[in-house]
Amino acid sequence: MNNIKPKDMNKLKNILTLGLSVLLLFSCSENFLDVESKTESNTETFYKTEKDAWRALIGCYDGWQCTVSNGGFAFYVASEVMSDECFGGVGHADGYGYQAVDRFDISISPSDLNMFETTWSSYYAGVYRCNELIAHEEQVEWESSHALYMGECRAIRAILYFDMVRFWGNIPLFTEPVNENKEQSDPKEVYKVIFDDLQYAVDSIPSDAYPKSDAANNDGHITQAAAKALMARAYLYYTGYYGEEPEGVSKAGVLQGLEDVIAFGEYSLIPQFKNLWPAASSSWSKEGSGYVQTNTYAGDGNAETVLAQKFNYTQDYNGNNDGNEWLVMMGIRSFVAVPYGYGWGACTVNPEILKNFGTGDTRESASVVDLEGEGITAMDGFDKNSKLQQREYTGYTVKKYTPMAEWRKDDDGNWSQVNAVVGLGEGDFQTSQYQNFVVMRYADVLLMAAELGSSNAKKYLNDVRRRAYTDAEGNLSSSYSEIEATKENILKERMLEFAFEGQRYWDLLRQGIDVAANAIAISNYSVLNGGNAGTVTITASKVKETEGLSQIPNNQITLSDYVLKQNTGW
Amino acid sequence: MKKTNVHHRKFKLLYVGKIIRVMKITAFLLLIAFVQVSAKSYSQMTKLKLNYHNVRLSVLLDDIEKSSDYRFFYDSRAVDLSTTVSVNSQNSDLKEILDQVLGSSLTYEMVNNNIIVIKSKKTDIEGVSVFQQSLSVSGRVTDSSGQVLPGVTVVVKGIAVQGTITGANGEYLLTNVPSDATLQFSFIGMKNQEVPVLNRSRIDVKLAEETIGIEEVVAIGYGVQKKKLVTGATGQVKGDDIVKMNTTNPLQAMQGQTPGVSISSTSGQPGSDMKVTIRGLGTVGSSSPLYLIDGIGGDISTLNPADIESIDVLKDAASAAIYGAQAANGVVLITTKKGKEGKAKISFDAYYGVQSVAHTVKLLDAEQYKVIMDEQEVNSGNAPYDWGSLTSIYDKDGNLNNTDWIDTMLDDNAATESYAFGVSGGSSVSTYAVSLGYMNQEGVVGGKDVSYYERYNFRTNADQTLFKDILKTGEQVSFVYKQNNGIQVGNQYNNSLRSAFNSSPLTPVYSDNNPYGTPYNDTSNSDWNNTEGNPYGLMMTNNNNENKNATFSGNVYAELQPLRNLKIKTVFGSVYGSSEYRSFTPLYHFSIYSYNDTRTSVSQNMSHSLSMTWTNTASYDYTLNDHVFNALIGMEAYRYSGTYVSASQADLKEGFDDWEHAWVNNGTVSSTDDGLGASGYPYDKGRSVSYFGRLGWNWKETYMVNATLRADGSSKFARENRFGYFPSVSAGWNISNENFMKNTRNWLSFLKIRASWGQVGNQNIDNYQYLAPIKNSTTYYLFGTTSGSDAQSSYWGAYPSRLANEDVSWETSEQTDIGLDARLLHGRLGLNADFYIKETKDWLVKAPILATAGTGAPYINGGSVKNTGFELALDWNDNIGKDFSYSIGVNGAYNKNKVGEIPTDDGIIHGSTNQLYDNSTEFYRAENGHPIGYFWGYQTDGIFQNKEQVASWNADDKHGILQADAQPGDVIYVDQDHNGTIDDNDKIDLGNGMPDFTYGFNISVDYKGFDFSLNANGMAGNKIVQSYRAQTNIYSNYTTAILERWHGEGTSNRMPRVTRTNYNWQFSDLFIHDADFLRISTITLGYDFVKLINCRVIGKARLYAQVQNAFTFTKYDGMDPEIGYGTDSWVSGVDVGYYPRPHTILFGVNIEL
Repeated sequence: MNNIKPKDMNKLKNILTLGLSVLLLFSCSENFLDVESKTESNTETFYKTEKDAWRALIGCYDGWQCTVSNGGFAFYVASEVMSDECFGGVGHADGYGYQAVDRFDISISPSDLNMFETTWSSYYAGVYRCNELIAHEEQVEWESSHALYMGECRAIRAILYFDMVRFWGNIPLFTEPVNENKEQSDPKEVYKVIFDDLQYAVDSIPSDAYPKSDAANNDGHITQAAAKALMARAYLYYTGYYGEEPEGVSKAGVLQGLEDVIAFGEYSLIPQFKNLWPAASSSWSKEGSGYVQTNTYAGDGNAETVLAQKFNYTQDYNGNNDGNEWLVMMGIRSFVAVPYGYGWGACTVNPEILKNFGTGDTRESASVVDLEGEGITAMDGFDKNSKLQQREYTGYTVKKYTPMAEWRKDDDGNWSQVNAVVGLGEGDFQTSQYQNFVVMRYADVLLMAAELGSSNAKKYLNDVRRRAYTDAEGNLSSSYSEIEATKENILKERMLEFAFEGQRYWDLLRQGIDVAANAIAISNYSVLNGGNAGTVTITASKVKETEGLSQIPNNQITLSDYVLKQNTGW
Repeated sequence: MKKTNVHHRKFKLLYVGKIIRVMKITAFLLLIAFVQVSAKSYSQMTKLKLNYHNVRLSVLLDDIEKSSDYRFFYDSRAVDLSTTVSVNSQNSDLKEILDQVLGSSLTYEMVNNNIIVIKSKKTDIEGVSVFQQSLSVSGRVTDSSGQVLPGVTVVVKGIAVQGTITGANGEYLLTNVPSDATLQFSFIGMKNQEVPVLNRSRIDVKLAEETIGIEEVVAIGYGVQKKKLVTGATGQVKGDDIVKMNTTNPLQAMQGQTPGVSISSTSGQPGSDMKVTIRGLGTVGSSSPLYLIDGIGGDISTLNPADIESIDVLKDAASAAIYGAQAANGVVLITTKKGKEGKAKISFDAYYGVQSVAHTVKLLDAEQYKVIMDEQEVNSGNAPYDWGSLTSIYDKDGNLNNTDWIDTMLDDNAATESYAFGVSGGSSVSTYAVSLGYMNQEGVVGGKDVSYYERYNFRTNADQTLFKDILKTGEQVSFVYKQNNGIQVGNQYNNSLRSAFNSSPLTPVYSDNNPYGTPYNDTSNSDWNNTEGNPYGLMMTNNNNENKNATFSGNVYAELQPLRNLKIKTVFGSVYGSSEYRSFTPLYHFSIYSYNDTRTSVSQNMSHSLSMTWTNTASYDYTLNDHVFNALIGMEAYRYSGTYVSASQADLKEGFDDWEHAWVNNGTVSSTDDGLGASGYPYDKGRSVSYFGRLGWNWKETYMVNATLRADGSSKFARENRFGYFPSVSAGWNISNENFMKNTRNWLSFLKIRASWGQVGNQNIDNYQYLAPIKNSTTYYLFGTTSGSDAQSSYWGAYPSRLANEDVSWETSEQTDIGLDARLLHGRLGLNADFYIKETKDWLVKAPILATAGTGAPYINGGSVKNTGFELALDWNDNIGKDFSYSIGVNGAYNKNKVGEIPTDDGIIHGSTNQLYDNSTEFYRAENGHPIGYFWGYQTDGIFQNKEQVASWNADDKHGILQADAQPGDVIYVDQDHNGTIDDNDKIDLGNGMPDFTYGFNISVDYKGFDFSLNANGMAGNKIVQSYRAQTNIYSNYTTAILERWHGEGTSNRMPRVTRTNYNWQFSDLFIHDADFLRISTITLGYDFVKLINCRVIGKARLYAQVQNAFTFTKYDGMDPEIGYGTDSWVSGVDVGYYPRPHTILFGVNIEL
């Protein structure tokens, strides 16, 4: 009944033809499906101009910054916790991860298998950004800044690898931007890259690229001097920890680099030690009904800063990671006491270390907060809100790096103590902290030169020491006396000069694992946990078992299907 | 009516033994209203082209029916259609043709515009008169809504030849009816009815619809199909059933209605999303089904339920495959109401209700809290608190504060209301349906000031017939405006309710100590806990935001029918959406953590987007003997674009620093550091082009085969991988049509088995995922000695933020389905059963890569999961006597979910951390061999009861203890690997948030104008992770469950002692709760006053009362056992302070004119 008649057939054909033409209207539609982003470029269109390279270089610096601002258990904090300067601390109700690190013993907190995962990822993210720029070096149409940018880029990669290889020892080495499941490299190869990169930076960055006179605009850049000083630090560590000379790097060459920096004249020791540190150089006095601050801070980019890792208070929860995220860990536990801001109470200071400061040495009070001595323990609410909340309370916390607080008057004219970051950026005390981390001070250049056997070793050592014994009025303490530039004296001076600057642990370790283990070991040391008597015991054997190296994140090990191997002892 | 694939049907009046041929177009339009039909109307002026020589009259009439909408009825005993006729008409109307072919013995009557009754001139229609005591009976037949029914067969029971058919006005007249006879009324799609005459001369009858008739059609991809011929697995919910549930979101009304479609709320906040999972979770990526409203993608949640004609869910791959790359998670087809030919029909529906929280959680009151806090100290080696020395925990009269924060947060008197107004109707050339709706729902947490959802809906659907049979056009236009505000309902850090769980009862809600003049207590100077804040004050003060969205969507179509079996259709659809958001942060101070002392701030943003879809299809039907073929080919093009702009300002001018004046213009700052901000960008463009086709065949409606193929090209993938191909094939066998089934027909009226296989895709990822983008935002490094964002703004950097993966392409879901449909016991019992295996593979997943890669992981295709399940639905419809009818529907679905292969070396996709409380660890994951998103934690084995037990526990070095310094009262974690330490290797699968079994049932009863219905739905086998307490905050309150804690040997073997630390609250089965529940979701009682009013104009005047979320049977002790929330889309059942869905009592009215 539905047979198609021939006439219909023709019609059908016509219609099908018409229909198909409509259907095929879009078959030339390949272009229709091509879309492109108007707010982002991609690797096919980037790395073309010198301006691109400049943006990529900032990306590398940002990558370095993110090793801190991404949060996680930061390299600096871990360096302090592992050293003999500090215990783990933190809140009484918190997990025991910091204690496991402090004791070199994961059985204290067996579920903490990934404490350093953010840190690990952030370091490799930084390396990746450098590797991408290096891989595209040839593709960029350079104008005048080729050597400079690439020098800084290579130096950043060296800094990242130097932190990583000290911290974990056994790490996969990537010098190209590839996604590969690589085995861990021989540290020797990693150091080869570090020394090559630093040498490249020394050779490429003109010495006058970033003069101190323009610190207001250029502070934060890696300079030739910084590269030379980092070279010395890496040389001392490598030769100390591994007990062998690196290939292609000579002690004399490294020393000469430091002597050049010293002779360069761009850097100097600022007159008073405490003025290097924001908290130590700030004091408040009551005046009438209000408060007035006295601030003698030498400022960011001061003459003694050879290299600083920069932070900003613009961190927020929208992806801006610029803040010094570990700083909040260093603050007094849950308490504001001008000029010290609110913090989480990690890295409580081991009072034993303070016994090494001599009379008249201004560095002690510039380095630690004496909670009782500074009247903080007597403040309202301190016991309840801070001391009882604190694990491993010792009465001392770190002053060189601490969140800050200040007195402020509100609209009603009432004064109160508030965290200094309030009102800045997001104003969040956890993320808005912006104290720069001074990676390399001129004092370090002097002491390394002395240690490497400079003919001016004694002068360099005592220059540093004399400044430490100079009080606020510029008077030299009567307790000061010159000392000889022996290795022992230099290392002890380093301990006092660089206390809580993240150096101590590595200075110990480069004297050999036994020396480090014995220095760190402590037995039944009395502390207060949540207000109750407790003890800290760190055994030397545990330190030795790990060889001073840290836990590799277990997630990464399993993700690699065990191509990555955990360090011994973890 | 060919376009709907509904063919005429012959049916027998058994007692007469004669065949009356009925074409049921009118009935069809009246009853099967969900079919997307545009009624063509045939006047007698319709011109026909016919050229027949010597064919039987029956053949001629048959062909006229097939090529037109004329339908012929005749009594085969009286009318002989075997005579041969010839006709040659180029342009004659039907009247002329009939006059020519019927000859002298036959005549006809035009009952309706297109219904023609052929009669014998001799016998006429009264039939044979054999009875003496008889009378004439007349009356009118209507459907349940009062619409008249033409074409209803009316016969005298037991008398073979006496019968008639109702006319266009539904009236019938039978003469010579015995006074004690019984009349039988029958009509397709209606339940037969018998009425004793009892000496009456007027008998009006109202026929009830068959609830589920196998003659119904259901929506399928780009068309409709007779349910009887469907070979895939689909489920349908009717608009009427959705309206009855009175929910703001149609998806909520669908809960428990379709087996295999699991729907749960992500929050009870008004306007919140529902999580819809069809046949088990198939991916860790986007798992939402594809929603098509009249063929165009849209947002079902904002539809006015009164506009919905029906919702069809395409569950198996074969049904969905014609939607190709978007259909991997199933397809939901929503058909909106169309007008019908006839007089205008006006409807008005309204309800008003009051909502409250069904079940609250009890926290410790002040005295209990003090006891527990003291015990916590003592257990930790400290002295109990010296409560007497504290001042801020007492009120002015020295009484201990005792705040029930949960109770404070809840509003027991939140209103919900809805008003819907509709007009529909049409003429023979055009039909229309217009509706207007308004709804408003207030939140039960915080009340209307901080949580509400308000919506306006407007819709017009219209269809026109142009050029008679050749061209039809139509358009649908809908406008939705919604406005809402809500409290935070996200994770523990963005959840207003959660803070109520963690505040002590010792602080008051109100006091005069607040620095900014609000009446809420500030805890900054509390000597109990200056950090806890005021959850209620914060919610009420700092919750100034509103969302406004307007969506304009519409489509126009034209359908050309150049040949009677060929239809070419083009549809152009467009959705334009705009949204606006504004928020204001006032100055406030509630604790030393929770404050904004710096400056007020305002933020505004606006966006708009436009999507356009153009669909062209051609379909052709072909019949060869008993073989019926239908073919469809089509193409579709889609594009999407949009723009977003935002701005923020701060420090609002004095007098302009409140919510009302919170507009960017009133801000005063001039630097980004102070809060000045602006951003704007285009949305990533989306484009796709698709080609598709379907071929269907059936033989005598007994054997059916359908095959489809779709090719999709998407801009989301690299050129080489743009096109995906999605095939399907399905077959069905209507066994009951077979001769060998004759004997079973008295109890088994219909039986079909069907099987299907198909592949569908998922392309739900962002654009440009195949490239490595260079990120240049938030990449600053500030050189120099000044700080702040102004200083850094020139120092923006760039880096590749993701690895490129040119190979990324579709995710594919492959599904095999075997099903059975049956109707038994004279159609009263219906049964549907389905078994399926669905394997989703090549997930679009950002599989974790090694951190050493240094940048973001690209989307890759990898990972698979298998869902295996069984679905069963039963329904029963019957009546007892003529006044009492009832129906019962029961359905259930079982699903098993098992991950096959995760594309990482460790075979795991890890869940987020920090979700249960600060610094809490990962507790859910997707891992090979387990269900997606299973809870991963320690098994516990009771509580250490005494020191000896602790001391000896690990004596064999095979029973590790997690706690560093375990004490009696601490939790025993099971050392699964017996290696003497408790670590991640001891964590096991503790269940998951997905139900094994979902079910629903509904009962409805009608009795003399009264109607009663009850709907229920439930889940079984799902678990909830409950974590209300911030375990690292020692002052956090506990629920009263802690009163069962261990506090001495033998006091508890489950709930650990209280301590200041969280070491007994490492993620373990202590967090896991059984979440099985059965919810009576609605109970409704209504009465239709139409009979009492007895006014012809009014078709319906129903008043009803309804209780929503009436009872919930569950062991779960939280506020709501139905928790779709999870941190990632692939985990659910995480209760960190869940906004419960309200218990509602409402009253409503339905009026139809």
